[in-house]
Amino acid sequence: MRRRDWLRHMAVAAVGARFVRLPRFDVAHVLVPMDDAQADHLKAYGLTFGALKAGLKSEWLLNYRGGSFLLPDVEELRTEAALDGVTVEPMDDAKLASVRALIQDSNMDSVPLEKAPRIAVYTPPDAAPWDDAVTLALKYAGIAYTPVYDDEVEHGDLSKYDWLHLHHEDFTGQFNKFYLGYRDAPWFIEMVQTALTTARKYGFANVPALKKDVADRIRQFVTNGGFLFAMCGATETLDLALAGHDVDIAQPFSDGTPMDPDADRKMDWSRALAFRDAHLEMSPYVNSMSDIDGHQVNDPARRQPLGTFTLFNFSAKFDPVASMLVQDHRSVINDFYGVTTSFTKTTLKPSDVVLAFEEGTPWVKYLHGDYGKGTWTYYGGHDPEDPEHAIGNPPTDLSLHKNSPGYRLILNNVLFPAARKKPLKT
Amino acid sequence: MAIALLAPALASAQRADTSAFYRALDLEGSGNYRAAAPLYRTALQGPDRVNAMLGLERVYAELHQTDSLLVPLDSLIAQNPTEPVFRSVQLRAYSMLARDDMVRRSFEDWVQAIPGSADPYREYARLLLQNGRAVEADSIIRLAGLALGTTSSLQMELAESRAALGQWASSAAAWRGALAANPDLDQAAAYALAPAPEGARDSVRAAFRSLPVDLGARRALAELEMSWGSPGNAWAALRDLRPDSASIDAWLDFAARAGAEERWALARDAYVAALHVRASPTLALQAAAAALNAGDPQTALALAPASGVDSANAAATVLPLRVRALAAAGKPAEADALVQGFAHLLLPVQLEALERSVAFGWVRTGNLERARAALDRAGPDADSSDAAGWLALYEGNLSGARAMLRNSTDASPELAEALGLITRMPEDSAPDVGRAFLALARLDSTGAATAFTQAAAGHADAASALLSLVARIDEARHADSAAVGIWARILKDFPDSPEAPGAELAWARQLRRSGNAAGALQRLEHMILTYPESALVPQARRELELARQSIPGGGQGGGRPAAAAVQA
Repeated sequence: MRRRDWLRHMAVAAVGARFVRLPRFDVAHVLVPMDDAQADHLKAYGLTFGALKAGLKSEWLLNYRGGSFLLPDVEELRTEAALDGVTVEPMDDAKLASVRALIQDSNMDSVPLEKAPRIAVYTPPDAAPWDDAVTLALKYAGIAYTPVYDDEVEHGDLSKYDWLHLHHEDFTGQFNKFYLGYRDAPWFIEMVQTALTTARKYGFANVPALKKDVADRIRQFVTNGGFLFAMCGATETLDLALAGHDVDIAQPFSDGTPMDPDADRKMDWSRALAFRDAHLEMSPYVNSMSDIDGHQVNDPARRQPLGTFTLFNFSAKFDPVASMLVQDHRSVINDFYGVTTSFTKTTLKPSDVVLAFEEGTPWVKYLHGDYGKGTWTYYGGHDPEDPEHAIGNPPTDLSLHKNSPGYRLILNNVLFPAARKKPLKT
Repeated sequence: MAIALLAPALASAQRADTSAFYRALDLEGSGNYRAAAPLYRTALQGPDRVNAMLGLERVYAELHQTDSLLVPLDSLIAQNPTEPVFRSVQLRAYSMLARDDMVRRSFEDWVQAIPGSADPYREYARLLLQNGRAVEADSIIRLAGLALGTTSSLQMELAESRAALGQWASSAAAWRGALAANPDLDQAAAYALAPAPEGARDSVRAAFRSLPVDLGARRALAELEMSWGSPGNAWAALRDLRPDSASIDAWLDFAARAGAEERWALARDAYVAALHVRASPTLALQAAAAALNAGDPQTALALAPASGVDSANAAATVLPLRVRALAAAGKPAEADALVQGFAHLLLPVQLEALERSVAFGWVRTGNLERARAALDRAGPDADSSDAAGWLALYEGNLSGARAMLRNSTDASPELAEALGLITRMPEDSAPDVGRAFLALARLDSTGAATAFTQAAAGHADAASALLSLVARIDEARHADSAAVGIWARILKDFPDSPEAPGAELAWARQLRRSGNAAGALQRLEHMILTYPESALVPQARRELELARQSIPGGGQGGGRPAAAAVQA
């Protein structure tokens, strides 16, 4: 059953018809504040997404009180807000006029949100939602998504969606080099076997070949107008797979042959979305893919400590897209590790838009760019509320992190496609 | 030859300088800073120059002449470029004079003089932290990380700067490192992290609870949990400590503090943990007393020494505890026998107190005749005891019960339950309610449920409270369908009562337990929307998330292990 079923309130009403206790505002709009007045920032995105899904027009008030949302005042919305503990404030015409005047005179803007994007998350069929910060956030916020994986991508199903998320998939086909530490673990053996079976099903000799093809189809999705949001190791490995399309960049444990010793030189970075001139890690025994990641968490000799990252403050009126992606009630956020945690500045393409950086370091955290008719956004790290997430750690319970500024950045990406007046179809 | 000739003169000068230093100390101690200053300056030339500089710093600060430190400091630093005290004093002096540019330059000179040392970074960062400039302190620590390749010797400064910046997880991680090196920093860590907001506390907990178990970190976490009002978590932080003498001290400290805050169950657990490692009659008695105060008489009986109660001294300590425990455990006959056996060792006032305990034991079992008889032997104070209060309640004398039980020091849930209920009732007398409580005391839960249900019909003001009690009895005896019937009745007949939100939440929980997630969702949504001001709404929202399976723990799981950020 879809959670955001606006008719469901009828069933709830049938329980006792006691909604009379909900405040009745008698105004045209409600404001969903996104500053410290908001009790549950993450569910506020779910509320707004649900409104869009129900066909209600909304507005994103960039830089106004932490990037608040303006929604029509309908009873179903207030009911949903009350259930979820989302703070909403009545907004009468006079108050709205003064807000609009303030927006006009400040580094703020109002962006209409028109249509809820169709969301796909590239994730293995047997993965729990708790395996991925984005699915955790979507699940908690009550935003429906469709899991897709290699089969769906190979079948061309990506064209059915507007927005695609990738997380810790290793598109170089090397299983995040888990081989180094987990070669005998039953789950790892099963994962390798399943991937190999899929590869052979589609006529590929090995997993790296399958993943390169999947990466290329994802690139096509973006070229055709899709919105791509990647985190963790998927950011780095997607670009490596794209740039290394015609080069053997996989270690022998994944494809049976050694890496091309001249792989570095043969990489075609014009095919990559975000990076250029990176250097591949040539050793099969070093748990790193390349020098794109600044933190190198899994290589003790290179590992860099976590600091904090700072969001750029963009001009809301001139850079609405970048502004939407950095809407937050905090501008300085604690960093968190991932298989890929950050992106070294020297490997960025000149066209990349840096959304967040760490002061005084040679890396950045959060990137955005256009590609073809679509866009991509890369956010380093695995889980904003679990800075050193390791295998076996308990999953993050987002009801304990309702106001997470790091998770907000993820959900900004989910709503951002809704802001396009005419979303391009793939 | 020249050196040989000069040597006696130098020795004489050094003696003079040493003498100057001690005279300066005396003068400073007596508050005569103006006279102390020149003597300290003289001592700067001798072997006590480091301490003399510190003395000079103090007296010049008193005299508001800190600028006078700068010239001698320059000379001393030129002669001893690696001496950290002179460098630190120089930083502090420029800082006091608000010469930020010179503070920075002094720091940079120091770094240049000893490139591999963490001292300059530490002192500068501390100074910035003292001045409330946490961002700059943090940047200096980062600089140290880049220059030295590690910040391991600056963990405390890093921890304090991150805490000052509100970066709680990062601060906690740094404190963890600092505590590993120096466990005595536990109070400092707790003080720095205490302001962490609710949402950040789990990350602090995770940092301190991560393996290996470390005494300093766990003590700091326990202190934090106490300050955050979570004594249960505080004990959870300490109980995993390796059993050694330092841990026992930590456990006993915690037990004493928990006892002082009347957290008796936690005090009991801490005493028992210590007792397992360091057995002693005194500790056993403390543990037993805590157990008894926690409403756990069985453990109290197991812990309180049973043998050796044969002297007046023991009778005054162990005997009352065992009698109280036996009475509370529903063994008043054994308690009575014990009292009679040692009556010859007791003063009359002690004997009467024990008789009141025995009477309370009879009351607990619902034997009103024996209780009354014991109270008759217990002297004039017995009329206002807990036992008399319960006796009044069982006899339906609500006004008497209210008066006596209200002053009780007993923290048992039974008393809170009874008192909460009878204070809702305006009547002075209610024999039907008394009979219901008596049935409960006799462990006749079915009879008690029936009696409370019948009593609800005759006491409109407290009907919902009486029914709520029935539902809890039904839940405790696993009569779920009966409990559901009661919750439904409360919601239907008493929707505006204080018990209604709790009844609906309990119903929803029962539905979720029985696998009816849809039913639970419906109840929870109704409860949240109907009683938005209820203090139970946050609990209901969490139940809602679990029922929707939108957070972990709602029954969904499986699949392959979550991928890791950190594989090493």
